[in-house]
Order: sequence, then structure tokens, then C-alpha cells
Amino acid sequence: MNLLTLIVVLPLTGFLLNGLLGPRLGKSFVTVVGCGLPVLAFLATIRAFGQLDGAAGLALVESAYTWAVVGDFSFDIAFYFDRLSALMTLIVTGVGSLIHIYSTGYMKDDPSYARYFAYLNLFLFFMLLLVLGRSLLVCFVGWEGVGLASYLLIGFWFEDPAKAAAGKKAFITNRVGDAGFLLGMFLIYYALGTLDFDAVNAAFQGPVPPAVSASLVGVLLFIGATGKSAQIPLHVWLPDAMAGPTPVSALIHAATMVTAGVYLVARLNGLYLVAPEASQLIAGIGVATAFFAATIAVVQTDIKKVLAYSTISQLGFMFLALGVGAYGVAVFHVYTHAFFKACLFLGAGSVIHALGGEQDIRKMGGLARRIPVTFVTFAVATAAIAGLPPLAGFFSKDEILWYAFASERGGSPLLWAVASVTALLTAFYMFRLLILTFLTPSRMDHETEHHVHESPWSMTSVLVVLAVLSAIGGFFHVYLFLEPVMPLPETAHALEHLEWPLIILAVVIGLAGLAAAVYVYRGGLDRAERLERRFPGLHRLLSGKYYIDELYEAVLGRPLHWISERVFLGLGDRRLIDGSLHGLASLAQRAAGRLSSVETGQLQQYLWLALMGIVALLAWMWRHG
Amino acid sequence: MDRTQLLLWLSFALFSLGFVGVMIRRNALVMLMCMELMLNGVILSLVTFAERSAMLSGAVLVFLVFVVAAAEIAIAIPIVLLLARRRRTLDVGAWSELRG
Amino acid sequence: MSGTDLLLWFFAAAALGGGVLMLVARHPMRVALALISSMISLAGIYAVLGVHVIAVFQVLIYVGAVMVFMVYVIMLLDVRDPSFLERYGRVVVPAVALAAVLAAALAVAAGSGRIMTAEELALFHDAPVATSFGVQPFSAEFLDQYWLHFELTSVLLLAAVVAAIAVIRTGRRRDG
Repeated sequence: MNLLTLIVVLPLTGFLLNGLLGPRLGKSFVTVVGCGLPVLAFLATIRAFGQLDGAAGLALVESAYTWAVVGDFSFDIAFYFDRLSALMTLIVTGVGSLIHIYSTGYMKDDPSYARYFAYLNLFLFFMLLLVLGRSLLVCFVGWEGVGLASYLLIGFWFEDPAKAAAGKKAFITNRVGDAGFLLGMFLIYYALGTLDFDAVNAAFQGPVPPAVSASLVGVLLFIGATGKSAQIPLHVWLPDAMAGPTPVSALIHAATMVTAGVYLVARLNGLYLVAPEASQLIAGIGVATAFFAATIAVVQTDIKKVLAYSTISQLGFMFLALGVGAYGVAVFHVYTHAFFKACLFLGAGSVIHALGGEQDIRKMGGLARRIPVTFVTFAVATAAIAGLPPLAGFFSKDEILWYAFASERGGSPLLWAVASVTALLTAFYMFRLLILTFLTPSRMDHETEHHVHESPWSMTSVLVVLAVLSAIGGFFHVYLFLEPVMPLPETAHALEHLEWPLIILAVVIGLAGLAAAVYVYRGGLDRAERLERRFPGLHRLLSGKYYIDELYEAVLGRPLHWISERVFLGLGDRRLIDGSLHGLASLAQRAAGRLSSVETGQLQQYLWLALMGIVALLAWMWRHG
Repeated sequence: MDRTQLLLWLSFALFSLGFVGVMIRRNALVMLMCMELMLNGVILSLVTFAERSAMLSGAVLVFLVFVVAAAEIAIAIPIVLLLARRRRTLDVGAWSELRG
Repeated sequence: MSGTDLLLWFFAAAALGGGVLMLVARHPMRVALALISSMISLAGIYAVLGVHVIAVFQVLIYVGAVMVFMVYVIMLLDVRDPSFLERYGRVVVPAVALAAVLAAALAVAAGSGRIMTAEELALFHDAPVATSFGVQPFSAEFLDQYWLHFELTSVLLLAAVVAAIAVIRTGRRRDG
């Protein structure tokens, strides 16, 4: 039975139905179709998962459609379901369905309800193409498609030009990364003649290395991953993407789309295992991004922006794990991160909903008693991300730190140290967020305070489910589940005795972050403001996000704009193209003017011309017999 | 040069004289008369060949050409008269509506 | 050269002379007279050739009707207008030049046998004069075999008369 094709097609059907008929058939139709189809997809995924276990560890492969036949190579749309894709698909459909249900409450009063669900289903379809695709080509279609869906959803309220600009920024930054992806794809096809993941992995792991540098391909594909997963230097779109509705931020920019880059590298582990330079680069950029984003998150004042930088930071952790060869561990962190980050984002959405649109944490506080369900779930998720045992984040982050320290495939104490400092900062800023939003005395406006209310059960139920998953999810050791597909790296024997001390150190770090946050922020913003006055330069640098956006604008944006304006528009378009056209036209006109002087209107001159013709004709005839 | 050659050369000479006359004379009536000269040149060649062929149809054709010439002049002159009345001159240089 | 040939040459010269005079004379009346003399010379040529019918028609129709009409119109109009003072139009020099070129080309072509080869030329002998070109035999056969053409010419002449009247009338109406 074409189970995999069904999984992929269900959300697509939802997109078509909601997009074409939704506005006409009303909210209940949109809700049933928009939420029901992803839930069905989730159930189908569970069924496929059951079939997978029964198939003795072999992957399910389904070929859906032959796209093109070029020479003796045919590009198929085929789906591949092994343990990795199973996990990713479960996350995508499961967390996706939950967020769809949450959206019915959050977007209840929005006039473009149908369009929202259509786009959300479209996103789900493309994401499923991405994780279920057998070849890099299908994956790339999904890759581009989620970029498109992200653009549509970030700029959902496009009447506001700032929000529309955020959507454009996301899409364009993604496209820059995609250039790298495409080049990598081309190299692989050129060297191997195939784009199927299993074939590519086998070729690179096989006895004869392919005729292309694995590191080069690895770096190019990683450039695509930096675009999609918001790593340095293409991370700039993710904070701006918070302009979209909060469930969108939860689904796309926390749980699923941004993990596409991690999925890509993990899927191609056969390639990266023989590309040590690329892996080192990945680890380095990952840990640098993690640290860098964490430092910015410490001074952010918008609740969603804190979470956005937190996402960038956590993604950096995942890439760190990938870089040291611990692919299964990175996917484990994807899995746990999906739960607690989605819970955090949806909780933030609940807070924003409760406060009627306020997003600045300097104007919040004292919400713990007024919206208790949101508070408790948010607190659980915060503890999870800070790495406090026995919540999910502790298990995954701890494994990452351990492999960063001890992996034979590139682990080093330096990586571990930077990652640990980042973990400290993570705990600090997350608890800062929790305290400032919920626990300090209220700094809200009186109007807002009056209207604070708990969110409807469609939203809070999802929060509860996600909080529970954040709590117990860590007990399912994904990286062990994935071992047959992605073997874990060897750890240095000499260091193995440090494993338990490092775990304890990680817990201590988490608690230290909690303590620091309580110390600084207990009672409100006063202590924080005093600290800010003592280090004004540092604070300015961090709140300006290291001025990266300004740097890009000055180095790339303005020169490009100048070139477009002066060279291409002024010179190329106006002078060359328009000029040549005008020149041709005026040439024709002037020539016509000159030539028309033949027509004087004088009859006798016309007769002369006729005689001239006759003479010429006769001469020619007589000459040529 | 024998007779036929002479007549044919004469015919051509009359025709081209008439053509040149149409081209160079300014007076509209003189132009018409030069056109008649052209026609006469052609009729001469027609007669030459008709006489040589000794067929009646040749002479009949010549007769018909005369009739046509008469009809033609009957129309051409009134037209020239009207044109002259409009521009108040017989000078063909006065008409250049087709300029440009 | 026999007498007929001499006559022929004489009439040919006269026709040609009349033609040249037409181009040169200033007064349109003189031009008309030159044309009349040219036409009469042509009639003479036809007579020498033996086609008396056509010679008669030439004088009757051409000189007697067409040229009389032309002379009548010349006398009717004021011919002392700019075209009287300035005989020639703007293209006089190019036209004469072109005519010279044409004549030269013709001379070269005829001389080198391109118009007609010597053999073809030899085919143009003098032919005996046919008797059926006398007036009596001509008209008998004409109205016998070609009566339809005769009737059609009368229709043509009628059309010409109607057209002339129409032109004059419209012209008069438009000029008030």
C-alpha cells in the first residue's frame, strides 16, 4: 500500500481544499480539513513505523512518479523510510498536528483563517517531501518549498511592510544558501551519476572513493544548511521571522524547518564520515553560532526574539554534534528541542494572547497566578532547555557535550568549553525570561492587566501535551535507536573516566544559570539596569546583535543596490537597451525623412523615374541577352 | 535601311520625343499634346506591322485605337480644364499634393 | 531609291521635325500646329504604304476631331501664365540626359544585333500591298465580321460623352 505517498499527499490535499474552497466554505470546514488531514498523516506515519520495525530493519522504499528521463538516467519521485526518516516524519506530523490544533484557537479571529491553514498544510507537504525524499532532488524540492511556505507565513500579515520585508529577507537569505546546496548536488551527480541518498552514502563509504572531494561537497551542502538552519553567516533571517504568527514560529522556526539542515547532514553521514575538514568546519561554526546567539539572547527584550536566538543557539549545538560525528545525538537533540521549543513558543503565544498583543517582557510580570497553565508548561519547558535532569533537554544536551569533549572524530576540550559556557548562558537567559514574564511584580499597563485571561483549551491542551513530552521524552534514547543507521563515534579511551564528572558539571552549570538569573532579576529590572549602566558598550554591542545586519547592509546591500541602480538600470537598461531602441527608431525616422524627399508631388519627376526604370530594364535585358 | 526599319525607328523616335515632351513641358495642354504624339508613334508601328501582315484585323485594330484616342481626349481635356480652373493656371508645377 | 521611298523619307522627316518643334515652341498654339503637321505627315506615310483607309481616318479623326478640340480649348484659355514664360519644368536637364542615354543604349544595342539579329532582320522584307485596305473592301468586311466591335466603340464613345458631361457638371456644382 502506498503509505508513504499517502503521508505526503494528505497535507497537499489540505492545502488545495483550504486554499481553493476554504474562504467560501467557512471556518469549521477549514478547521476540520486543516487539522484533520495532518492528524491522519500522523496516524499513517505510525502505521508505517510499525511496518518498518516488522521489516527487519530494512527501509521502506516507494516510487511515486517518474519525473524526467534524461539519457539513461531517470529522475524519480521516490520516498525512503528508514529509522531516521521515521523519526523525522513522526516529529513533523506529530508536533505539526499539535500546532495546527493550537492555531485553531490562536488564529480564531483572523480574517484570513483559510489562507493560514492552507499555507500551513502546504508547509507540511513540503517538509514531508524533504524528510521522506529518497534523492537529493526530491529533498531539494521540499527544501525550496519549505522556504516558500516560510516566506508566505512570515509575511502572512503582509499589509504591514515591515512584516513583508521580514518574509523577503528569510527567503532571500535561504536562497543564498541554496546556491551552495545546488553546487553540492551538481558535484555529487557529476561524480556518481545518482542523487539517491542510500546510493550516495554507499558510494562514499565504499572501497573506491568517488572522483570528487568529499570535503568540498560537504562544505557546499553545509552552506545550504547554514541558510536553512540559521547558522553563521546566514542566521540573520530568523530573528526577523518572528514577525509571523506565533504558531508559525513554533512550527517552522523551532521544531521542523530549521532542523532541515541538521537532517541533511545527518542523512548524508556516509559522506561526512570521510570528510574531516568539512566536519571540523561544521563543528566550529556550530559552536560559534551557539555561543554568539546565546550572548545576544541575554539582552533581548521581546519574548519571541529571545526564543528565536535560543533556537539559533540550540541549532548550533546540533551542528556541533554533527561536526564531531555524533549524528544520532544531533537528531536526538532535534527531537527533544522540537518538544520544548514548540512548548516555549506556543506558551509565548499564549502570553501574547493573554496580554492582547504585548510582546515586550519589560512590560510583563506577575502572570504566574493569572495564567497558571501557561506558566507551569512554560516553566517545565524552560527547565528542559536549561538541561535540568530528568527532563528531556538534560539527556540530549549532555550527550552533545560529552561527544564534543571525547569523540574520536573531532572532539576537543575547546569545543566542550565553549559549549558549556553557552549552556550556562542558555540556562541564564531562559530563566531570566521565565522570571521577568511570570514571577516578578507586575509591570503591565493597567488596561492590559485588566484583560489578562487564560487561553482557550484548544491552546492550553497542546501546551500540556508538549510539556509532558518535554519532561519524559528524554527517556527514549533516540541515538541508540538510530545506531543501525548512524553509528556513534568512538570515544577516546583515555577520557572515558571523565564521563560522569562531566555530567555532574553540566547539571551544576544549569543550576548556576538558574541561580544567576534569580539573583539578577528577582524583584524586577533594577539590578539588571544597574549592570547595564556599568557595561554600556557591551550592552550596546549585544543589543545591536553585533551589528551584523548593518555590516551586511553596508558591505553587500548598498553596493549591490548601487550597482543595480547605476550600472544596470542607468547604463544597461536606459542607455544601452532603451538607447539602442530609441536610436533605431530615430534612425528609421531620419532615414524616412531623407528618403521621402524623393516624393515631391511633381508629376513630371515621377515620369522621369519611370523612364529611368525603363532604361535600366532595357539595358539589363540587352546586356544579359 | 529599308522601309520597315525606317518606320520602326521613326515610331520609336516619335514615342520618345513625346515622352520627353511630357516630362519637360510645363503647360498641361502641351503635355496632353505630347501624349498624343506618343500615341501616334505607337499607332505608326501598329500600322507598319498590320500592313506587312496583310490581315484585316490589323486595320480594324488601328481604327479602334483611333476611337479610343478620341474618347480619351474627350475626357482628358475637361479634366485639365477643371484642374486649371482650380489652380487658375495651366502650370503642372502648381500641383504637388502628393509631396512627402 | 524609288519615288515611294523618297516620299516616305520626306514624310518621316516632316513627322520628326514636327515632333521636335512641339518640344521647342513656346505658344501652345504653335505646338498644336506642329502636332497637326506631324499627324498629317503620318497620314501621308500611311497613304504611301497603301493603307488609305487608315490615312483617311488619321486625318478625319485625329486631326479633324481631336486636334480641333485641342485648338478650341487653347483658344478658350488664357495661356499667358507662368507656363508660358517658363516653358520647361524642373526635370528638363535630367530628362534630356536620360533620353540621350536611352538613345545611345539603343544605338549600341541595335548596332550589335541585340535587338534583332541580321537573320531576323532579313525577314523584314517589303511585302505586297493588300487590296483589302481600300475603303470599299475595308468597310464591307469591317461591318460584316467586326460589327460587334463597331457597336462596342459606339458604347465607348457614349460613355466618354457621359463622362465629359459628368466631369463638367460636378465641377460646376462644386465651384458654385
